[in-house]
Amino acid sequence: MSMEDYDFLFKIVLIGNAGVGKTCLVRRFTQGLFPPGQGATIGVDFMIKTVEINGEKVKLQIWDTAGQERFRSITQSYYRSANALILTYDITCEESFRCLPEWLREIEQYASNKVITVLVGNKIDLADKREVSQQRAAEFSQAQDMYYLETSAKESDNVEKLFLDLACRLISEARQNTLVNNVASPLPGEGKSISYLTCCNFN
Amino acid sequence: QRVLHVDSKNYYGGNWASFSFSGLLSWIKEKQQKTEVSDECEDWRKLILENEEVISLDNSDKTIEHVEDFCFGNQDSAEDVEEAGALSKLPLFGSSGAQGAAQDPEKESAPVENTLPEPAASSDPASATGGNETEVTPEREGSPDPASGEPASDVGETEAPTENAAQEPKKITYAQIVREGRRFNIDLVSKLLYSRGLLIDLLIKSNVSRYAEFKNATRILAFREGKVEQVPCSRADVFNSKQLTMVEKRLLMKFLTFCLEYEQHPDEYQDYENRTFAEFLGTRKLTPSLQHFILHSIAMVSEADCSTLDGIQATKKFLQCLGRYGNTPFLFPLYGQGEIPQCFCRMCAVFGGIYCLRHSVQCLVVDKESGRCKAVLDHFGQRISAKYFVVEDSFLSESTCKNVCYRQISRAILITDQSILKTDSEQQVSILRMPPMDSGQPAVCIIELCSSTMTCMKDSYLVHLTCPSSKTAREDLEPVVQKLFSLNTESEEETENEEVEKPRVLWAVYFNMRDSSGIDRSSYDRLPSNVYVCSGPDSALGNDCAVRQAETIFQEMFPTEEFCPPPPNPEDTVYDEEEPASEDSGLNNAPEMKPEPSPEEGGSEEGATGEPEK
Repeated sequence: MSMEDYDFLFKIVLIGNAGVGKTCLVRRFTQGLFPPGQGATIGVDFMIKTVEINGEKVKLQIWDTAGQERFRSITQSYYRSANALILTYDITCEESFRCLPEWLREIEQYASNKVITVLVGNKIDLADKREVSQQRAAEFSQAQDMYYLETSAKESDNVEKLFLDLACRLISEARQNTLVNNVASPLPGEGKSISYLTCCNFN
Repeated sequence: QRVLHVDSKNYYGGNWASFSFSGLLSWIKEKQQKTEVSDECEDWRKLILENEEVISLDNSDKTIEHVEDFCFGNQDSAEDVEEAGALSKLPLFGSSGAQGAAQDPEKESAPVENTLPEPAASSDPASATGGNETEVTPEREGSPDPASGEPASDVGETEAPTENAAQEPKKITYAQIVREGRRFNIDLVSKLLYSRGLLIDLLIKSNVSRYAEFKNATRILAFREGKVEQVPCSRADVFNSKQLTMVEKRLLMKFLTFCLEYEQHPDEYQDYENRTFAEFLGTRKLTPSLQHFILHSIAMVSEADCSTLDGIQATKKFLQCLGRYGNTPFLFPLYGQGEIPQCFCRMCAVFGGIYCLRHSVQCLVVDKESGRCKAVLDHFGQRISAKYFVVEDSFLSESTCKNVCYRQISRAILITDQSILKTDSEQQVSILRMPPMDSGQPAVCIIELCSSTMTCMKDSYLVHLTCPSSKTAREDLEPVVQKLFSLNTESEEETENEEVEKPRVLWAVYFNMRDSSGIDRSSYDRLPSNVYVCSGPDSALGNDCAVRQAETIFQEMFPTEEFCPPPPNPEDTVYDEEEPASEDSGLNNAPEMKPEPSPEEGGSEEGATGEPEK
């Protein structure tokens, strides 16, 4: 996996209340389908999609919450070394929007300072049930310095755009970081992953 | 099978957890207060049927004692400083979560009530979140200096020279520690992973390793004749060593090579099988410094009572672990040991395990006739049924444990300003085993972590001291701390200071932790056979004990199943389109507690967060 054919690898992490459509967004993007009547997410650790942006291969590793958001019991390690966070709410569900500050607190505490955060209002196909206006969300995202987008995983609206724009931002950020290359401060992800290392012996 | 994991604490891992600085301060406060949780047995007694009896559990954690913390810097300047981006780990529920507030399911979402992001409000909505005093939300981005994450209004003018950090790198104030508190991930237990130990094998086999990253311990140290020195242990180290003579190098290599293949040379040691390893070393023509290195830093065994064979085996284990991932036998997880239990929990969750923190269990419900546990009652009085129950020792009540005799672990955690052995590179992860200062006392294991392990702030070191207790943690460990570190406050230090400059301790905490490992199951009073007890952390350096225990419990429950089998690769997973919709998706928004339907083959895991179990 480590030696594969790509120029960039980014870890993107999804958060937000249960049932806002996090898994649907990922599956729409990575597999091009919308799973009907899906229950709580089981068996999805992360999904991968490699995209090409301006001739460069970008591998996106998109992590799902494994259902731990349901009882607010997401492990801190989920946030470690994430390059970007997608904070998702359901535009037809006021409560999922109200919980955003709570999610922001988790981000503050556990994610890296440098993480890019995108606010996503999902389910715009259910416009007649909308409870959260675009304006409120836009203002909230501005106050929090987040990018903001509304999507429909079902109709595939803005889903590609969400991930591709994010990939572009991550690339330009990665470029800046290598230019600045602040050696003094250790970055997350500089440790080794044990399974990929080769072994040698005492002799 | 399905797994439900319930824990009254609001963090994962119990005594295996790690905390930010402010999180640790809250933890200390809680442990020092020792508030007795009132036993509110009245209501739920009604829920017990006639053919059932009850085994109460205890949610007031009594595993931590003698907590003493010290600040050696000027604390006043830090009074108004708060941690940037802090989320106190023990705010509402904690382990005293049984107090009223947690009784009401509504409360679960109550703190959100007043945080509705108003469209017009330009103020940061996150900081309006109620119920959390240590909360400060830094302006997200905007401020270019990451160290200045503090909102100006809260910090005011403290003298902490944040912008000038580059010019004065070594002077860390208490205010800075508090402000940078989020950079700390302070483990309650201090361990390392042997690179060929059971935990590494399990992490790799189960693929849980994908959730964590590791750093090598970079140095093995020894304390001899009042000095800290580095121990050469790999072949390359030995040859490159400047402290050893040619003769010593040859003797050391010869001895280490012998230990690696000792089984083939029984004649070399069998005359000493009834003697101690230290005595055996004395017969091998090794110089005193080499004997010291081998005994205390490589074999890491007791001078007084380790047998020859045990010492040789310990040496062999050390040598076999060398070179797998680097120049020492040890790995340390980035962000601290506290990540490990969470990684196992994540894997379990991916395959359907349900995790509830801040949710306590009042009691076990036992069927009188069969003598088996059939359910638990949680703090809402909900009954959760299952076939198997795993409970951590710390949740068992005094009456269950009345015949149990626990050992204790003495712990100290220090934040210091320099390494105990300064070299070119500041980024070192070191382990030092300090021989006992008086006979009869245990050796003290010291692990010094640098900031690139993501466990402490830049220019600081996090030092963990651990030993089996003979007295209180402070009595056991303070003599060692005084040997290695300076406890003077800044002003005093300028005047004194003739001898070698020791690292300065900026902040310290001592505490004793219960060691519930190795307790025989039969010592627990009348526990049903389908209730399994897992222990808290043991005092050993490695993690073999916990892994063995988890595997044993699993095998007892499911003798035919594989323990932590490799999961399918997420990149190859094909998703089944016809997943049965197990719940009303889409509208399940509020984090309310609903009674978990008791699955046919459900396993309920209670508070077993410390165990790398699934």
